[in-house]
Amino acid sequence: MDTVLEATDLTKHYEDFSLRGVSLAIRAGSITGIFGPNAAGKSTLLRVLAGQAPAHQGSVQVFGSAYADAEQDLKNRIGYVPQEPVFYPDKTVQWLARFAAPYFARWDGAGFYKLLDEFKVNPLKKVKHLSGGQKKLLSIAMALSHEAELLILDEPTAGLDVVHRRALLDRLRAFVADGDKTVLAASHITDGLDELAEDIWFLDDGRVVAHEDKDDLLARWKWVHFKDGALPNAIEESLVRVKRLPFGSSGLTGDYLTLRGALAGPLASGDVKLDNATLEDVLLSFIKGA
Amino acid sequence: MDPILRRSSFYYVTSLFFYMSLMGRYMLTRDWPVFEILPLFVPIWILGAFFASESDECYAFLRMLPVPDRRVARTKFALILAAVAVQWLLMIGAALTRMDEGIAEPSTLVYVTVVCAFGLLVAAGYQIAVWRFGLSTMKPVLGVSVAAGIVMVIIHLVSLKRVETWPALSQLGVVEWLGGAPWISIAILVALALLVYRALMRVGIRVKAASEAHL
Repeated sequence: MDTVLEATDLTKHYEDFSLRGVSLAIRAGSITGIFGPNAAGKSTLLRVLAGQAPAHQGSVQVFGSAYADAEQDLKNRIGYVPQEPVFYPDKTVQWLARFAAPYFARWDGAGFYKLLDEFKVNPLKKVKHLSGGQKKLLSIAMALSHEAELLILDEPTAGLDVVHRRALLDRLRAFVADGDKTVLAASHITDGLDELAEDIWFLDDGRVVAHEDKDDLLARWKWVHFKDGALPNAIEESLVRVKRLPFGSSGLTGDYLTLRGALAGPLASGDVKLDNATLEDVLLSFIKGA
Repeated sequence: MDPILRRSSFYYVTSLFFYMSLMGRYMLTRDWPVFEILPLFVPIWILGAFFASESDECYAFLRMLPVPDRRVARTKFALILAAVAVQWLLMIGAALTRMDEGIAEPSTLVYVTVVCAFGLLVAAGYQIAVWRFGLSTMKPVLGVSVAAGIVMVIIHLVSLKRVETWPALSQLGVVEWLGGAPWISIAILVALALLVYRALMRVGIRVKAASEAHL
């Protein structure tokens, strides 16, 4: 499958934070999720990938071009939603649309107002009178209204109520449905994007700590619930995030596919049970370690 | 008209309108030292318009639009240049109309050009600084610069009237000498100022692209 975005060895330094040698590739037609704790570097990475901030080292190629060579074309093909969207505060939403429209090669004014209507954002309201969630929705509406081929979304569901969050997730699903559009979203793990994402990148402390297809990742990460003494020592010692409970213990393994054979006996005897892990479980094990 | 240009030009046009309606009348009616003092307000006025324009700007939003960063930078520099050029033209026009009365001399034309060039380059410097360090950092510096400029002009005006030996800038030896062939001097001064301005604009484009402080 084609790669729409490729970053190589990205480094960016701030006074109290550094993005350190991040390389990633985003497949066309996919929904890719970048997950990580606060201050992991997700927003910084997305800003660099969206051409909003230059990296100190490394390169970004989007649709085969660098921002330095094709900034205008690339920004026409990308819809970027920042973590905290910024607009002219004293202007109305309608004014913003009129201001921005001439710069886009393919601005869909009718589509924009339809989205505003769906998102319950009043176009006659001044930006400074919009809530944080409404500003986010306005930013999403703009990103979806110029026929972008790649959406780069920084915590797009943050600040949204459950109705709008669900509506947005449905829209993103529809956006990639025809297979030639791509979504890259950074998020905390529990806001619904983890359901959508097919390709998962975990970021912590400015580095990529894991990258895997979601199905493969979840196939090998399992919760193992066991009665004391039921597991061979080597397996028990390999578990992470082990919790001792009154009636046994639970631990997480990221190596289920290898251990499957060894667990067959205890599973059959009923002394061991398995549960699926969530992405949050997996992320926590990467962040906190074993 | 380009929306960024239209929006950014508002403060420059407004300030120009107020400047000329306030000062223009004086230039056409008052006697010495009107052409010594009023040109000195040009850098202050330009900085004021620049400050207002930047305070109302939203570069983070502009960077999200498919507009090359260098185009935004060039627009901002073009506006400063246009604002200074219009003020220069109007003052030169006013000075020319008052040559016969002896209120303005050939050296006045040179003096006006020098002050406008100074204002142009100072504003360009501040534009670069705002992109590099951010408006919140530069706000106090700009405020102090404008206030200091006003105080210095007032001191200069009062001293001209009260201190006999106080030098008039428009009558300094070098200005008088350049005034010997004013149009040649002006052409050279303008060319030099534009060359430096162009170099500053190139620096500004690079600084703006590399900086996030102004976003």
